[in-house]
Amino acid sequence: MPEMAGLDEGGPLFAQVAERLAGEIAAGGLAEGERVPSTNELAAFYRINPATAAKGINVLADEGLLEKHRGIGMFVATGARATLLARRRAEFTERYVQPLLIEATRLGIDPDELIALIRESSSERGGVAV
Amino acid sequence: MINVVRYHLVQPVLFVTLPLAMLAFLFAVNAARGGDTWRDGLAVIFLYFFIMGVQRVGGRWLPFGLALGASRRSFYAGTVLLGVSMSFVYGLVIAGLQAIERATGGWGLSITFFRVPYLLDGPWYATWLTSFVVLSALFVYGMWYGIVNRRWGMLGLLAFVAVQVPAGIAVAFARTWSGVGGPHPSLSALGLTGVIAALTVVILAGGHTTIRRATV
Amino acid sequence: MTPAISVTGLTRRYYDEVALDDVSLTVGAGTITGLLGRNGAGKTTLLRILAGQEFPSSGSVRVFGAAPAENEDVLRRLVLVREDQVYPDFKVCHALRAASFCYPNWDAGLAASLLKDYGVRPGKAIKGLSRGQRSALGITIGLAARAEVTLFDEPYAGLDAVARQVFYDRLLADFAAFPRTVLLSTHLIDEAAALFENVVVIDRGRVALDATADGLRGMATTVSGPVLAVDSFTAGRPVWERRGLGSQASVVMVGQVSGEDRERARSLGLDLTPLSLQQLVVRASGRSAGSDSLTERTWV
Repeated sequence: MPEMAGLDEGGPLFAQVAERLAGEIAAGGLAEGERVPSTNELAAFYRINPATAAKGINVLADEGLLEKHRGIGMFVATGARATLLARRRAEFTERYVQPLLIEATRLGIDPDELIALIRESSSERGGVAV
Repeated sequence: MINVVRYHLVQPVLFVTLPLAMLAFLFAVNAARGGDTWRDGLAVIFLYFFIMGVQRVGGRWLPFGLALGASRRSFYAGTVLLGVSMSFVYGLVIAGLQAIERATGGWGLSITFFRVPYLLDGPWYATWLTSFVVLSALFVYGMWYGIVNRRWGMLGLLAFVAVQVPAGIAVAFARTWSGVGGPHPSLSALGLTGVIAALTVVILAGGHTTIRRATV
Repeated sequence: MTPAISVTGLTRRYYDEVALDDVSLTVGAGTITGLLGRNGAGKTTLLRILAGQEFPSSGSVRVFGAAPAENEDVLRRLVLVREDQVYPDFKVCHALRAASFCYPNWDAGLAASLLKDYGVRPGKAIKGLSRGQRSALGITIGLAARAEVTLFDEPYAGLDAVARQVFYDRLLADFAAFPRTVLLSTHLIDEAAALFENVVVIDRGRVALDATADGLRGMATTVSGPVLAVDSFTAGRPVWERRGLGSQASVVMVGQVSGEDRERARSLGLDLTPLSLQQLVVRASGRSAGSDSLTERTWV
């Protein structure tokens, strides 16, 4: 399979495209008010059908994260980053904290020990990196 | 249909250069042989028109033509138009060269290359007409063979020939004929030309009908 | 909106076999559809009938709303690139010239650039081209024609993987710039999978599957690892296949895998590998028309 720049067969391509764009916005790589790559640019980059790329963009547009400026293209909407970060925070507990606790319990690590481990790792890394 | 003609003419060599070269070559051979009448020399050109007809439809021209979006009927019509136009021109060439041959007393060597007794022996316009009709007939006849081959292969060709044999025999009986140039008891050259023209119409109808379901 | 291609109940019979059996499908304008299936499944016959080069035994075929056979108005807007295209005694440039006056949208610049990419000299006789170069010529004509309906029948014979990728890239680029309806028949599915918006699988003359590519992706996943973990993970979920070796098991599980599923699998030490489009198609080709058929409706 040709490199689709990291897309895989694990699920609909349009959803993966949307997720990557959202990730970029959340990470700050795509600033608010900045133009998002066009359908054709995305299609060429990922080597996918332009209609698939368009669908991915539309997913984000439907969620209000992107807005269309007629004749020019798609832009990151104001507040998009905040919305995405809030969403990810909400998911954080479910996606990361709980599995962490489950695994810790399995290994016989109690919550206090767990907190100590977290503190230790954090200082080793020299603070929070993005 | 015009596109079909243009398509055939993408490589004009086979229509222009080659036949003329053949003509020149055959003429040179005739000249080398001396002042004999060599009827068969000119006959080669006529045969070539038949072969071209076969090739243009039964060969590799049809598949690519259809691939380019021509309908079978329009391919047929365009190819016929091409063949007929070529016959018109070559008829004129033959008539013209015949006139020169007469005027120069056989090119100064008593050659009668362009004069076929009975068939191509009259005034220039008669020669032109007869050549035109016969060349066209042979071309279109060849086309039909090409179609039959394409649709039904070798067996089809044999059947096609077999069907025509009785007719051919009947014709042979109906007249005393010595080679192509033999005189017919009751039919003038022009009359014969008319008969051939009528046959051509029959062939056209036949070819047009049979090409419609040809596949490539 | 009228679909670009509309086939209903198409059957094509030969003396001793049925090449297409009651095939019905529609292809929307401006989409790229993969026509997939094994060799001899009927893909070529279907494409030839769409291009008016063969005739149906029964059923209806409509391109731009009209039957394509013997219809120059339709055929002018359509191009079929065949693997076994026969050319007269032409040079490459002659073939391009002929194409240029038959296709209203013909782009000579694109044709020249494609030939260059493939290293085919315009002055070379077609007879003398290698198999790969012939394919390159076919691809060149197919793309430069910019025909509203462009049909490709396994157009890459003799082309290596790099050359094929050039084809996919060029097709995608020109499609993006000049949208058209594309039907691409191939048995190298995974290579071209990302191009397809829709996928039609033909098996033994019948339509085995007709779905959107994205709808199929992720439809089934191979779950492998320790037997107990695999069984626990796949409990209650539909399964297609199960294999075991000692304490290891591998199960093909049906249904989309969620984020939570992934986390759980990781914590259980399981490996999840989604079935590729090619694998799904192979499966669909194994069973055409039956309660087991892979229709989008059933699983997603």
